[in-house]
Amino acid sequence: MSAEVELVGAFADEERLVHCIGQLKAAQTRFRVFSPIPSHHINSAIYTRSSFVRWFVLLGGITGIVTAFMLTIGTSLEWNLVTGGKPIASIAPYCIIGFELMVLFGGISALTSWILLANLPTFEPLSGYRPRFSSDEFGLVVRCAEADAERFESVLRDAGAQEISREAA
Amino acid sequence: MSPNSETASYRPGASGIPPSANLSAQPLSTIALVLIGIGILTFLIAITHGLAQRAWEAFLVNLLFFLGIAQGGVVASAAFYLTQGRWAGRAHYRLAESFSGFLILGFVLFWFLLFGREWIFPWIRHPVPAKTTWLNVPFLFARDGIALGVMTLLSLTFLSASRSEEARQWAATSANILMPPPIIRRLAPAVCICFALVYSLLAFDLVMSLSPLWHSTLFGWWFFAGAFWSAVVTMAFTAVCLRRVLGKGNIFTEGHIMRDMGLMVFAFSVFWVYTLFAQYLVIWYADIPMETFFIVLRVHYLPWAFMSWLTVSLVWAIPFVTLLGIRPKKTPAILGTVALLGLVGIWSELYVLIVPSLSPRTIPLGWIELLITAGFLGAFWLCSYPGLKIAAAAAMEPIGESH
Amino acid sequence: MAAAVKDINLDPTFADIDRSVRAIMEPPGLRYWLWIGFLLALTLTGGALWTNQIYNGLQVTGLGDPVMWAVYITNFVFWVGIAHSGTLISAILYLFRTRWRTAVYRAAETMTIFAVATAGLFPVIHLGRPWFFYWLAPYPNQRFLQPDFRSPLTWDFFAISTYLTISSLFWFTGLIPDVANVREIATGWRKKFYTIVALGWQGSDRQWRHFSMAYLLLAGLATPLVLSVHSVVSWDFAMGQLPGWHSTIFAPYFVAGAIFSGVAMVLTLLIPMRWVMGLEDLITPWHLDNLAKVILLTSLVVSYSYIVESFMAWYSQDPIELMTFHMRYFGPWGWMFWVMVACNCVIPLLLFSPRIRTSTVPLFIITIFVNIGMWFERFVIIAGSLATNFEPSQWRFWHPSITEMGITVGAFAWFLMLFSLFARFMPIISMTELKEGITWLKQALRQGYAKAA
Repeated sequence: MSAEVELVGAFADEERLVHCIGQLKAAQTRFRVFSPIPSHHINSAIYTRSSFVRWFVLLGGITGIVTAFMLTIGTSLEWNLVTGGKPIASIAPYCIIGFELMVLFGGISALTSWILLANLPTFEPLSGYRPRFSSDEFGLVVRCAEADAERFESVLRDAGAQEISREAA
Repeated sequence: MSPNSETASYRPGASGIPPSANLSAQPLSTIALVLIGIGILTFLIAITHGLAQRAWEAFLVNLLFFLGIAQGGVVASAAFYLTQGRWAGRAHYRLAESFSGFLILGFVLFWFLLFGREWIFPWIRHPVPAKTTWLNVPFLFARDGIALGVMTLLSLTFLSASRSEEARQWAATSANILMPPPIIRRLAPAVCICFALVYSLLAFDLVMSLSPLWHSTLFGWWFFAGAFWSAVVTMAFTAVCLRRVLGKGNIFTEGHIMRDMGLMVFAFSVFWVYTLFAQYLVIWYADIPMETFFIVLRVHYLPWAFMSWLTVSLVWAIPFVTLLGIRPKKTPAILGTVALLGLVGIWSELYVLIVPSLSPRTIPLGWIELLITAGFLGAFWLCSYPGLKIAAAAAMEPIGESH
Repeated sequence: MAAAVKDINLDPTFADIDRSVRAIMEPPGLRYWLWIGFLLALTLTGGALWTNQIYNGLQVTGLGDPVMWAVYITNFVFWVGIAHSGTLISAILYLFRTRWRTAVYRAAETMTIFAVATAGLFPVIHLGRPWFFYWLAPYPNQRFLQPDFRSPLTWDFFAISTYLTISSLFWFTGLIPDVANVREIATGWRKKFYTIVALGWQGSDRQWRHFSMAYLLLAGLATPLVLSVHSVVSWDFAMGQLPGWHSTIFAPYFVAGAIFSGVAMVLTLLIPMRWVMGLEDLITPWHLDNLAKVILLTSLVVSYSYIVESFMAWYSQDPIELMTFHMRYFGPWGWMFWVMVACNCVIPLLLFSPRIRTSTVPLFIITIFVNIGMWFERFVIIAGSLATNFEPSQWRFWHPSITEMGITVGAFAWFLMLFSLFARFMPIISMTELKEGITWLKQALRQGYAKAA
């Protein structure tokens, strides 16, 4: 069993890095991309399906509306006093509460789901992370067998990596 | 029109004039002429046989409906310039402007309302004493005629500026932060401001005054928001049709263009229901009889309640639920169907606003209304045809750089 | 201090942007702490006045039948309005893919958070028994009592709470990559603080994937929220039958007014901030130009609303409505109305000139006038309509009191203090998004400074 190594390539821009990703996916090797800015190109190169966050938000929103109508209609029927000549369960104003709670629950779901799905909070540096990847450099970290290291190193160099370092995984 | 791309050939235009495609829509134009004939005939028969009330109701509803689409399209183009939106190159500008041919016909048809004024404006036969300074025939037609005239002239001037070579060049490249040409920078805000003011005035005079005791400050804004949406929806529907007709390589086959159209349909439908709800909630809550009677007649009692709920379903509920996700926006069949239903919805919205004031107890919906609508539709098609050819040509042009 | 135009780098790299923003977060000097001290003094004075009011009751204010709502509620609506423009710029313009938003949106969003925090104080301040403020919330209790969900005040509670929460979540989400950026070069207690706040963000593809989706959805949720929250606030008034209050146009009119006053406040904050901190290389004349255009657009919407309201009052021929508007224009408080029209409708018309839109001093002065005008607009609507209600024998014009004016000034100081503290200790400009849109920044720099250099 050959030892695994980790290649860390630093890139100045994302264009050529995106080319690399296709080759790495074809070679079915494990890799990770660090980037200081959100990049639609990198995201669509790596992932085919959209993040699940949207399902959590949908669920949160629906929960919000249901909760709001249950709360408002339920409590109105509980204390069924006529105020202002309006029906006990007056739907028009309850739509407002429904809308606000929909947004509230949806937003909280968005935050909690994205943080949890992104595996945050984490205070250990991910393998291959360099401080400059949070500022002005893109990083591509490839994990491969020692035997393949040369091949992948040349792939990274062809794509324009400014510096490549090799470490034992 | 056949879906065969060979019939949609592309002819480059002379300098200064935008190129137009040969859409070869001969059969449709003939049908349109026949429909116009039927419409005029139905109208004349109705008037001479004691059904003038229904004829004029149908006339007003259709006039406002098609004028709203035509004018809303011009405003959409102006709005694209103001937000520097070049997400479809030149195509969405030409698409928005394609219905503007109806503007002049609409202005002419507005004056026909003089002949039907006794049937349309209840305050002629039953004047409201306190309001005669505002609600009298000479003043109303003078102010609305001048307003509509100014709006039409401004729109036509804007259109010729928008179709100029300079503006087309600007729209073709999107990888810069440049503003549109100076003349557009002056005309586009003017078109939008004029639209808000003129269409609010038309809403107050031609729709709200039909129930002269009622008023709502948001009515004008809601009305022209609906007119704008009807234009957006017509654009989406036309884009879906052109996508099929023009064959490969046209810009409407790109998913992100459909998505952006779908986003506009979705967003402005939500704005329409928001302004509707804002009026409903305020009037419902304060429960002042002078305000509630208008809504109660249309929403709380049959037969009109049915049409009101139909309107809200077609204009808001269906687009909202259907177009929430990204994939339905990109699916032409879905977007096209929702758009068509939305158009029916706006027509029924105008119907529900105008007709109950004149016919509270029954819904006069029958052959007269249908055939007069068909006549207007034929006229609208013929007026829009030159603009559609230009839009088709713009759709076949490649975009300069991706945005 | 302000950078000389010839020193501005017209072709920045990612590292240049980082350097410019990180430079703002250097430990501040004496002048800054004097400014904070001054603001703190004003805030504490406002706090002392409020404490006195709690002890002695609302008699220390000028409030009294029929003017039960005056300066406090005016302040409430004013600050909530200011908050909305931040969300407009950060969320709505994000959905529109607007290119000039990136340099200014973090400052605008921060303004939102602190404006909502300021606004949220006023419903409590204006209560006679503020210790019972929690009665608005639907909490379980022994008698199963619940708030009246049919009341606009309850809608307010839900809307403002939701708005504060969602804005904070959105703001926090966007901050994480920037705080991670700053974490890398920080030392000492700052490094610990930034490490915790950034949650260990490292910008991996997995993290960005979920971040981007959440950011888009939060923007999508915040957009209708902006419309709804100020509509709900406007319905505090529109639901009443009081002439001058009962008007269907209030919801979108208040939203437009909110964006109007808010973007003006953004510029009121950004222009001095840009000058003091030397940010001309990040906030270019192009950014100021576009913000000014938003002010102009919303000013026109507000003018439209004034015209329609006045027209409809006349069209209705309702004698009470006519009298209310007559008093609004020509009564004892008529001067406020005309100040409002001058500041909101006439002065912003100057923004039709591209030269004024890109000149910092005239633009700053115009935004000050807009803030004044919008404060008066809320006062004219709220207190003006109450003072001249249905029954002339009840008419009574409110007089200002030290408590109310002191608390108003204290609220401004509190807001400015929070904003100033944030600006020096956290990234007030989004490095991440500026770098994402670096193409447009370079074009803006060339457009704004190449001629002068």
